[in-house]
Amino acid sequence: MRAVKIIALNTFREIIRDRILYGIVVFALLLIGVSIVLGELSFAEQARISANFGFAGIQLSSAILAMFAGSTLVSREIDKQTVLTLLAKPVSRTQFLAGKFFGLTLVVAVVMLGLALVLSGLLLVLGLKIDKLFLGAVYGIFLEAILLTSIALFFGSFSRPVMTVVFSISFFLIGHWVDSLHFFISKSQSETFKMLAGVIAEIVPNLERFNWRSAPIYGDAISSQEVMMASLYCGGWVLILITATAVIFRRRDFV
Amino acid sequence: MTATVLSVQGLKKTFRRGLRAKPVQALKGISFSISAGSITGFLGANGAGKTTTIKCLLNLAFADEGEVRFFGASELSPAIKSRIGFLPERPYFYEYLTGREFLRFYGELSAEFKTVDLRARVDSLLKRVGLEHAGDRPLRGYSKGMLQRIGIAQALVSEPEFIILDEPMTGLDPDGRYEVREIIRETAKSGTAVFFSSHLLPDAEQLCERLVILAHGELVFNGEMHQMLSRFEVGYNLTFTKDGKTSTESVPTVNDLQKTIDTRRAERADILEIKLNRLTLEEAFVRIAMREQA
Repeated sequence: MRAVKIIALNTFREIIRDRILYGIVVFALLLIGVSIVLGELSFAEQARISANFGFAGIQLSSAILAMFAGSTLVSREIDKQTVLTLLAKPVSRTQFLAGKFFGLTLVVAVVMLGLALVLSGLLLVLGLKIDKLFLGAVYGIFLEAILLTSIALFFGSFSRPVMTVVFSISFFLIGHWVDSLHFFISKSQSETFKMLAGVIAEIVPNLERFNWRSAPIYGDAISSQEVMMASLYCGGWVLILITATAVIFRRRDFV
Repeated sequence: MTATVLSVQGLKKTFRRGLRAKPVQALKGISFSISAGSITGFLGANGAGKTTTIKCLLNLAFADEGEVRFFGASELSPAIKSRIGFLPERPYFYEYLTGREFLRFYGELSAEFKTVDLRARVDSLLKRVGLEHAGDRPLRGYSKGMLQRIGIAQALVSEPEFIILDEPMTGLDPDGRYEVREIIRETAKSGTAVFFSSHLLPDAEQLCERLVILAHGELVFNGEMHQMLSRFEVGYNLTFTKDGKTSTESVPTVNDLQKTIDTRRAERADILEIKLNRLTLEEAFVRIAMREQA
């Protein structure tokens, strides 16, 4: 665990000192800012519209951070050969991967915490309550970001960063579409479509399971069982993806 | 008897890139060993298989066949790894870290230091590699020579018994090469066995006691430097004065030398100097390489 912690902290430091991160944070803050303007344009429901946009801002920025930073997490170490000095130390390849994953997860958590604080301040001013539903919505976005991090790490272990970003974005988009995909499968007459869409629906994690963003806006309850099941669902996928990444990485030659 | 820090037996590695590409046999069954406290040069032209060998030793690439033992152990366990230091070829380090942070990071990974001990170790290493003035500067501002020196420092951070340096002098100016040579010398003096690859033969000639030479993935020499050079002894030069005139005469063998000395002495000449003619390592290496090509 010691090696994982040390690599995670170094990965955290690496991303925190990267200017790209600040670009993403500024983008998220702009989105939250736009949410105020859009709220102002509305007659009623100002707080709801602002909350909606605010959550979308946090979700989008954490997803971008997870996918873009995740895409270069391993490939950069290989391209620049820093992986050679790391793995020559008493560090296993699995520890290296786990350290990279937890490092980025920590960055996502810190960035999301900051953005959630900004948004909660804004919503308090607009008269919306900050309660456990708000926390639930933010937690759902965090689970999604963790899953996207492990997806990016998985693809990044064998493909170039550009392709990793393409694969990750595809998983992000399809992941939010899985329920619709099931609906289309049930309505479709084409056996080929049913088969192909069925395979896709099975191999892509359903990201809508973490979508509780409307709960604080409309006061919908989020059951603890739902949260627990979603957490287990996320944990299971992360475990599968990290294990698959470790298997690919275990016998890789660094030439 | 001197302990063996590394023994390599029949190491083979073939690379296959792409489905249609022809397999390339990078290592064709090489065997050698390194003794504790020695400086061994690992020589060969570019593409001879030096870096591949080093990567196979450290499981950064996996050999198809062969056995590698560090300190007698066949498994490269974390405990064994902490006794080995490594500097890769053309190292690129985390440029966002300062020199001090960089060494602390590798120190924490290498061994369980107490915070105070690690701080002291980092300070002493920075001093040893002549970078105490630059310890708090980010690595992105370091020159090539400084990066090479901080790289050697990270290899030494856990006070290893054995260090492997892959082309530590490449790309450095004469001053930088001198500094790295001195660090290697001091490291060996402190009891650490050094195994370094290079294609800069004058540097190797100045540093090494032993040589391991590869050509096209095959071992062509493994032994003491003097054994290697004595293969290419090309006779003696005898300098003498006679009737106020100084002359030099070349003789091919020791027997001839003895006869020539007797003759000159009989002629009442004064012998001024007898010099063994041998090739430099570079010349010897070229001859070996030509022999291999033939």
